[in-house]
Amino acid sequence: MRTKGTIEEGRFYQRMALPALVVISLFFVLPLLFTLSSAFIGPGGGFSLSPIKAVFTDPYTLRVMRFTITQAALSTLASLLVALPGAYLLSSYSFRSKSLILALSAIPFVIPSILVVLGFVIFFGNNGFLNQLLMALFSLSEPPLKILYSYKAIILAHTFYNFPIIMNLVATYAMHLDRRQEAASYTLGASKSETFFRITLPRLLPAIISSASLVFLFCFSSFAIILVLGGGPRYSTMEVEIYRQARMVGSASAAAALSLFSILVTSLLLAAYSKSQQRLVQSEAYKEPLLLERRPAHALGRILALLYALSALLFILAPIASVIVRSVYSTSGFSLKWYRQLLNLERASSHMGSALAALTNSLAIALTVSILAVALGTSLAASIERRKRGKGALEMLGMLSMTVSSVIIGLGYFLIASRLHGGASLSYALVVLAHLVIALPFTLRVMLPEYRKIPLSYTNSARTLGSTTGHAFFTIELPLLRGAMVSSAIFAFAISMGEFNATLTLSSSTIVTLPIVMYRLIGSYNYQGACALGTILIIVSALVFIATGTTKGKKHA
Amino acid sequence: MKLHRTALILVAITLLLFPLFGQGKQERQDTLVVYAYDAFTGDWGPGPALVAAYEAEYNTKVRLVGSGDAVEMMNRLVSEGARTPADVVLGITDDMAGQLLETGLLRPYESPYLSEIPAFLHFDPTSCLLPFDYGNYAFIVDSQRLEEEAWPTSLGDLADSRYKDKIILIDPRTSSVGLGLLLWSIEEFGEEGWLTWWEAVKKNALTITDGWSSAYGLFTEGEAPLVISFTTSVVYHVLNEESTRYRALIFPSGHQATIEGVGILAGSPRQSEAERFVDFILSEGQLEIAITNSMYPTNASTPLPPAFDWAPKPEHSFSADRTRLEKNLERWLTEWTEVMSR
Repeated sequence: MRTKGTIEEGRFYQRMALPALVVISLFFVLPLLFTLSSAFIGPGGGFSLSPIKAVFTDPYTLRVMRFTITQAALSTLASLLVALPGAYLLSSYSFRSKSLILALSAIPFVIPSILVVLGFVIFFGNNGFLNQLLMALFSLSEPPLKILYSYKAIILAHTFYNFPIIMNLVATYAMHLDRRQEAASYTLGASKSETFFRITLPRLLPAIISSASLVFLFCFSSFAIILVLGGGPRYSTMEVEIYRQARMVGSASAAAALSLFSILVTSLLLAAYSKSQQRLVQSEAYKEPLLLERRPAHALGRILALLYALSALLFILAPIASVIVRSVYSTSGFSLKWYRQLLNLERASSHMGSALAALTNSLAIALTVSILAVALGTSLAASIERRKRGKGALEMLGMLSMTVSSVIIGLGYFLIASRLHGGASLSYALVVLAHLVIALPFTLRVMLPEYRKIPLSYTNSARTLGSTTGHAFFTIELPLLRGAMVSSAIFAFAISMGEFNATLTLSSSTIVTLPIVMYRLIGSYNYQGACALGTILIIVSALVFIATGTTKGKKHA
Repeated sequence: MKLHRTALILVAITLLLFPLFGQGKQERQDTLVVYAYDAFTGDWGPGPALVAAYEAEYNTKVRLVGSGDAVEMMNRLVSEGARTPADVVLGITDDMAGQLLETGLLRPYESPYLSEIPAFLHFDPTSCLLPFDYGNYAFIVDSQRLEEEAWPTSLGDLADSRYKDKIILIDPRTSSVGLGLLLWSIEEFGEEGWLTWWEAVKKNALTITDGWSSAYGLFTEGEAPLVISFTTSVVYHVLNEESTRYRALIFPSGHQATIEGVGILAGSPRQSEAERFVDFILSEGQLEIAITNSMYPTNASTPLPPAFDWAPKPEHSFSADRTRLEKNLERWLTEWTEVMSR
C-alpha cells in the first residue's frame, strides 16, 4: 500500500524533471522540428518533397555525402593505426611517464576544435614550427612538409584530435582485463604473439569497435577543421555544406534537407555506439589492474616504446604548446603586443578590436550556461534516479541533443531568429540557450553516476525524522553532490567557452565570442592574435582538465 | 546553508553580467547600419577610415557590418528580406546585381553626384545601385616566388601543370571575385570550353577559399605565387609597403571588368541619412576608397594617386551581359560545382 509519503516523494522527483524537459522541448526539439520542416517547403512556399529530392539526386551533394563518409572512415583508420600500439604499450607495461601520457590523452576531450585547427596550422603549416625547424636543420629554402590545404591535412588533423581517445579508451579497458586467460595460454605453450592475436585481441575488439565508432562519429560531424583546412567544393563535409547553404547561399530548405540526412547517419552511428557500449559492459568482468612489467624485455622493444611515447607526447603537446609560444613570440622577437591589444591597452583594428568584447561575452555566456546546465542536470539526474518508471526514456531524452550535430542545432536557431525582430540581447539569449542545450547531456553524464552513489536510506531516514522530501533533497543530497556539481559546472563552462559550430551557424555578425573572433583572425591571417585568444582557451581547458582529474575516484561514505 | 549562499552569489554575478551583453550594443535610433563585404570593413579595408571621417563630419553614428564576401552578404540580405537591419548596402557588383534588384529591396536614388560618373559605369538604369568603384579582374603574381619567364600570359596558361599548387582560387558561390573569374572563363573559352579549363586548373589550385580576404591573405603569407584579384591590387603594396614585389598580370586576350555599387534599402527608416552617406561615398569618400580598397574611383573628378601607374591597363576588357547572366547564372554555378567537386 502506498503511503502519503511515497506519493509526495514521487511527485517531488517527478516535478524535478520539469525544468529540463521544458528546456529540451522548447529549445531543442522545437528548433529541430522547425529545421526539419523547412526541408519540406518548396520554392513556392507550400509543402513539397522537391528540396529532399533535389538533395538526393544532385551529384554534388551526393559527392559531399560520400566525401564526408570516406574522410571519416580514413580518419578513423589512421587514428586506430596510431592509437593501438600506444594502447598496447600503456596496458602492458608500467613505465615512468605512463600516467602522464594517460592523463594527456584526455586532452582532446577538453580542447575545442577551433584550438586544434589553430595549433595544427601553427605547428604543421607551411610557415609552421615543424617546417621552420626542418628548414633550419637541413638548410632548405622551401618548406619540406606541404601538408596544409589537402586531403592529407584533414586526415592528419582528425588523427591528431582523435587518436588519444582510442588510445585512452582501449588502454583503460585492456588494463582492467582479467589476465588469467593469457596466463593459461602461456601455460599451454602458446607464444607471446600467438596469445596476443588469438586471445587478447579478440577480447579487446569490443573496446576497439566502440572507441572507433565514437571517433567516426566525431569525424563525420567535423566542422571547424574542414572549414579551415579543407577548401572548395571538393573538401566539404555535410556540416560545412549545411552551414554554407544556410548562411552563404541562403537556401534554408537545402540546408534542412542535408540536415535530415546527417541526423539519420549520426543516429545510426549513436545506436551502434550504445549497442557496442552495452556489449562492452557485459563481455568482461572489471578487474583491478595487475602489476605490470616495468618495460619491454628486449632492447629493441624498449627503444621502440620510448620512441613511440616521445612522439605521441610530441604529437599531442607540440601543437598546443606552439599556440602559447606564438602568442608572445614572432619573427621579430618576444612581444606582449597581442595581449595588450586583447585587453584594449593598445589600439587594434577590426577583428582584434573586438577581442575584449569577445572575452567578456564568452565569460558571461559561459558562466550563465554553466549555472543553468548544472541546475538542470542535477534536477534531471535526481528525477531519473528516484523515479520508478520511465528511467531509461527520461535519460534518453536528456541525452537527445547529442544525436544532432551542433551545426544543425545552430541552424534551427538561425531559422527562427531570422523570423524574429530582435536586437543584440535576443541574439545573446539564443547563444546561451544553444550552448545550454549542447552542455546539458554532459552535465547529466557527470551528475547521474554521482547521484547513483547516494544511498536512498539517507533520504528515508531524514523523512522518518520528519523532513519533507524537498527539504531532504536540499539539505542532504545536494551537499553530497557538491563535488560533482563543481566539476560539471566547469565542464559546461568549458563547452560554452569553446563552442564554435552552433555559435557561428546561428549568430549574426554582431555577436562576438572568443572562438568566433579566433576563426575570423585565422581567416585574415592574424595568427598571433588568434594565438593570444587561443591561449586563454587553453587555460580554460587546463582548468577543466585539472578539475576532472581531482573529482574522479571520490566516493561517498 | 553554505550552498544556498554560494548559489545566490553566483546568480547575482550572472545577473550583473547580463548588462555586459548589451554593452555598446544598444543602438541609438540614428545609427546608420551599412552592410559591406569583409574586405571593405576589415583590417586593410577603407571602411574604418571612411566611417571615422563621415562620423566626424556629420556628428553621427555609422555601424559597418562585415558579412563575408559580397555574394554571401547579398544572400544574407535577400534571406533577411524586409526584416534586415541594414539601411545601406555596399559592394554589390554588376555581375550579381540582378538577383538583388529583382527582390525590390532597394529603392532608386538619383544622387547629384551621378552626373560626375562616366556613363559606361552606370550599370543599373533604375539607379537602385550607384557605382562607387570599378576595376579589372587579374591574376597577381609574387615576383619573389615565380621567375618572370615563368609568368602566365593567358588564362589557358594557368591550366598548365607547371603551375601545380601555385594558384589560389575563390569560390564563385560565395565570392564576387570568384564569380568574376567564372564569368571571365566563360567569356574566354565560351560555353563549350570553360568547364574543361576549370577541370584542368582545379589540379593546379592550392586551395579554393570562400572569400577574397582569405585568398589574398594566403597569397601574402607566401603560400602560393598566384592569386585571382584585381589589376589595381598592386597599388596597395606600392602605397603601403613601397613594394613592387607583387605584379598584376595582363593577358592580351582581355580581362573581365567589374563595377561595385552602393544602394539604399527601401524599408530603411533613415532615408535622408542613407542618402547623405551614399553622397559621401560618391564624393569625398572616393579617394579613400581608391587608395585603401585599391579600385578605380567612379567619380571622374577624383585625383588618382601616382601609385596607380603601377596598375597596368588591359588592352581589352569585357563586362557581363545582364540578360545572358540572369538566364544562365544558376546553371553555370551548378555546373561549376559539379566539375570542381569531382
